[in-house]
Amino acid sequence: MDPALFAQHLLNGVMLGVIYALVAVGFTLFFGVLDVIKFSHGDVVMLGAFTALATSIAASAAGLSSPVILAAMLLAAIVGMALVGMLMARYLVLPLRNAPTLNVLLVTLMAGTVIREGVRLFYPQGSNPKPFPRLLPTGAFEFGAFTLRHDSIVLLVLGVGAIVFVHLLIVRTRLGLAIRAVAQDPETAAAMGIPFRGTVLATFAIGSALAALAGVVNGLYYSEVSFNMGLLLGAIGFSAAVIGGLGNVYGAILGGFVFAALQTIGAVALPFASAYKDVFAFGVVILLMAWKPGGLLAERSAERV
Amino acid sequence: MSSTARALLAVLLATASLASAKDTVRIAFIGPLTGGVSANGLGGRNSAELAVKLRNADAKAKYSYELMALDDECKPNVGVQVATKAAADKNVIAAVAHYCSTVAMGTVDVYHRFGLPVVIWGAVLPDITYANDFKEIHRVNGTMINQNETAAKFMVAQKYKRWAIIHDTTDYGKGHNRYFSEYLQKNGGQILGTFGVTADQQDFSAELTRIKELKPEVIYFGGITPLGVRIRSQMDKFGVKAVFQGTSGIISDAFVEGLGPLAEGVVAFREGAPAEKLPGGKYFIEQYAKAAYSDPPEAYGPFAFAAANLVMDAVEKVGPDRKKVRNELNRTHDYDSVVGKISFDDHRQNAVPLITKFVVQGGKWLVWEDSEYASGKRPLVR
Amino acid sequence: MGAPDRATIFPALAAILAGAGATLALLLAETQWHVAVVALAGVAALLIGGRAGFGDAIHRSVASHHRVTSATSWLAGAVVVFLLREHNFELLMLCTVMLYVLAGLGLTVQFGFAGVVNFAAAAFMGVGAYTAAVLMTSTGLPHLVVVLAAGVVTALIGSVLLLPLLRTRGHYAALITIAFGILFRTFLEVNDTLGGPQGLKVPGLQIFGYAFNEAIEFDDETEWSFYTAYAGVFLVVLGLAYTLVRRVERSWMGLALDAVRLDETAASAFGLNGAAWKIAAFSFGNFLAGIAGALYAILTAFIAPASFTFGDSLLLLSIVILGGLGNPLGLLPAALVVVVLPEKLQVIQEYRFLLFAALVILILLLRPGGLMPRRAREYFPGRSS
Repeated sequence: MDPALFAQHLLNGVMLGVIYALVAVGFTLFFGVLDVIKFSHGDVVMLGAFTALATSIAASAAGLSSPVILAAMLLAAIVGMALVGMLMARYLVLPLRNAPTLNVLLVTLMAGTVIREGVRLFYPQGSNPKPFPRLLPTGAFEFGAFTLRHDSIVLLVLGVGAIVFVHLLIVRTRLGLAIRAVAQDPETAAAMGIPFRGTVLATFAIGSALAALAGVVNGLYYSEVSFNMGLLLGAIGFSAAVIGGLGNVYGAILGGFVFAALQTIGAVALPFASAYKDVFAFGVVILLMAWKPGGLLAERSAERV
Repeated sequence: MSSTARALLAVLLATASLASAKDTVRIAFIGPLTGGVSANGLGGRNSAELAVKLRNADAKAKYSYELMALDDECKPNVGVQVATKAAADKNVIAAVAHYCSTVAMGTVDVYHRFGLPVVIWGAVLPDITYANDFKEIHRVNGTMINQNETAAKFMVAQKYKRWAIIHDTTDYGKGHNRYFSEYLQKNGGQILGTFGVTADQQDFSAELTRIKELKPEVIYFGGITPLGVRIRSQMDKFGVKAVFQGTSGIISDAFVEGLGPLAEGVVAFREGAPAEKLPGGKYFIEQYAKAAYSDPPEAYGPFAFAAANLVMDAVEKVGPDRKKVRNELNRTHDYDSVVGKISFDDHRQNAVPLITKFVVQGGKWLVWEDSEYASGKRPLVR
Repeated sequence: MGAPDRATIFPALAAILAGAGATLALLLAETQWHVAVVALAGVAALLIGGRAGFGDAIHRSVASHHRVTSATSWLAGAVVVFLLREHNFELLMLCTVMLYVLAGLGLTVQFGFAGVVNFAAAAFMGVGAYTAAVLMTSTGLPHLVVVLAAGVVTALIGSVLLLPLLRTRGHYAALITIAFGILFRTFLEVNDTLGGPQGLKVPGLQIFGYAFNEAIEFDDETEWSFYTAYAGVFLVVLGLAYTLVRRVERSWMGLALDAVRLDETAASAFGLNGAAWKIAAFSFGNFLAGIAGALYAILTAFIAPASFTFGDSLLLLSIVILGGLGNPLGLLPAALVVVVLPEKLQVIQEYRFLLFAALVILILLLRPGGLMPRRAREYFPGRSS
């Protein structure tokens, strides 16, 4: 393959990987502290994108300039989704703490449906795809068949920056310490004076804020959002988190890139029709799990008996 | 009971009987009201509802009509359920049904079994009418065969030679791909590559990067609005410069709204006369605007409106009896509607002679012949 | 407490009567008002019944009078079918509920008993459905054999996943089944050999020369819906499967499955082969799902990939969780809620899923363990310990 073309496919895959990783990190954080899967996560991504969209429409009606609009919509989406995440944790997830974990899955699945149908029905003409404002510079560097767009660079920096930020938050701060402690053993953590409920709420806020960011990045990258975009993103984010190893933030990031690579390879390099790319991607996922049953970066710990 | 109460009751009963001086006839509407393609379902539902409302406001109508709207979720198993619900309800005289072809494929047997006359308003798969010979099944919209024959001939006549095809892997996209490829090759067009994508796919960077390398003049897209918006928008991102040619599935306000300036110069084809060109069509557009629905009628709204009127006219003529209505519908010939004349062939398929070519100009779908693209003022690719 | 005397039979009979009555009422509810009243009554019954300890009384009573209650349940089912004999649509819904319960039984064995998760139940139903469609159209096999074969083929195809499933657990295993479900649907859609996205027609059932698709006419006046015959057959199949699953649950096999689920390491220390039990449970569950899928294909007479999506798998999963994980009896009310309620909400058209999802959340918040949570195993049924 032409090296310029190869570089182009690589870049496409990396952009995709960043979005998937942002979603996957949320899954892995929730699983870490509560051992639950929050199936509404993809719909929170979508809600974040729509919050940003509504904010940008309001802000541009107020005559603000692009950078200000961008800041406003990021802020609104992130704060808004952090709140939504905390509310869901407080009123849907924590009350079911003593029920089988699958019940949490069902309740969040239904919460996702409520969010999705709510946007479809109550956002003006929400059942149709919406254009997302193009707020980033539109120029591009061209090297033969390889095009590096300016907005891609900004989004890449934004996405990677957010992941690094969360990483530092978890490794360097007291909050991060609390999250790790609760993830390891909630009871001992509580005995050491770490508030369980507060830590869980903070984790859900962080994970959902990342989801909001993923939604905005998604919107800016594709210039379009729709009410059902969260379904597939949620499923892929979950897959990425599991492939990497649940509970492990690096695993989630790695998983995101692995999944993006699988999809790109499936569409570009398969000898048969590209329509089979999902069959290929998910087939490889099954094989990967058979090979590494605990995910690529499994926690190295003996099973507690 | 006190005398006042009795008097009140008498008044109530009197008004009730006045209001129901006409017999009520129930008609079912079936389409996707929830899920990914609900925009089209809601547009069709509103249009059918509008037809019923207008008819009920007409003092000359012999019956008053009631629309029972049912959601098939665009899933065949749910479709069979709601079709049975409508067909088993003896008060339902006829139905205006289906946007999704797979659903229609599953339900035609149900209508046939229960003898419920149905007019299809949006599903385009030829097999729905042609695979069986069920007297109950009629269709006012054309099939994908007609559409793609015209599309291929027209685009080749515009001197385009090299195509890349993207289609979704539903029955809609695959069917369009099959017929378009067939007619395109017959007319001398060249297909450089065909890409099947799933209907909920977000990212087309891999496909579009490959297409960019193939350097096609036209990208043919077989699929519906949400996916069309995504692909056209990402074409721009990845610097693919080609004419975007769609099918009837992208002729919607949502497509133009979702793309903004990028929609300019997108061409697509739909069976039937353009509503705004017909006197009845203008009336429909005005009335729809007046009813102030929150969703637009979309491409197939006028067909749902026409189908509902066709059914109600049949009921007016022969009375609320399924068999008689069926036979009356079977005989439909040169019926004036908002989508042009309707005549059914031996498989009760509207033999629409006319395929309208559309292009987006100035943020609106325009009939090709009226556009500045046809007169040569604007080129399709900038 | 601890009295060895047997509980009275009345709570059990009352429960069966209430169950049958509620099923009928929900199926026949037409207008917004009827649906609202039935739904409210159901919620009220749940709340009051739960508080007042009816559940325990019913449970003791059923345990004490096992034969009579199971015979009465069969009878009640038959009566419900008979009462609906002229209602085509309501019978179709009832048949759908029964098949979802049948598939739910399979899931209950899989992760209620053995702890093997399965997020691809609809895909396995799809395998059964497509197997039945192909066998019925291209071979002359008797239809009963076809249905059984569909179950066997489904179990066999499911065994492809056994290796990765046995190596993984929890959410990792869940991902394998999710991947399989999505892969299955995409493959059917892309590949045209089995009808592609357009789907396949499925002929009607024929058993010993009796064609099920013909309405049952007695004279010019009375005509029963052809769905009556289907409902009758499904009732028998469901009854047999239910009895079988219950028997398994109460036997030493159920005990072994519980042990494997709760602590595989401890179970293996007692000589139980965890892998073997998981394989058995997973295959048996898929067998039931395959049979349910085959019957569903025959019932709706048409199948397409769009009917067996990941969303449908989640729907089946919802039934199992909502009923109370591991309790086969909870499947019936849960299936009524998940299958019939959205249908009854057709009156509110595009708003129905919003309301449905909100209602399910409400139920789970009121009853975190599901409608009828599984009880601790009783070694001497009928005694109030």
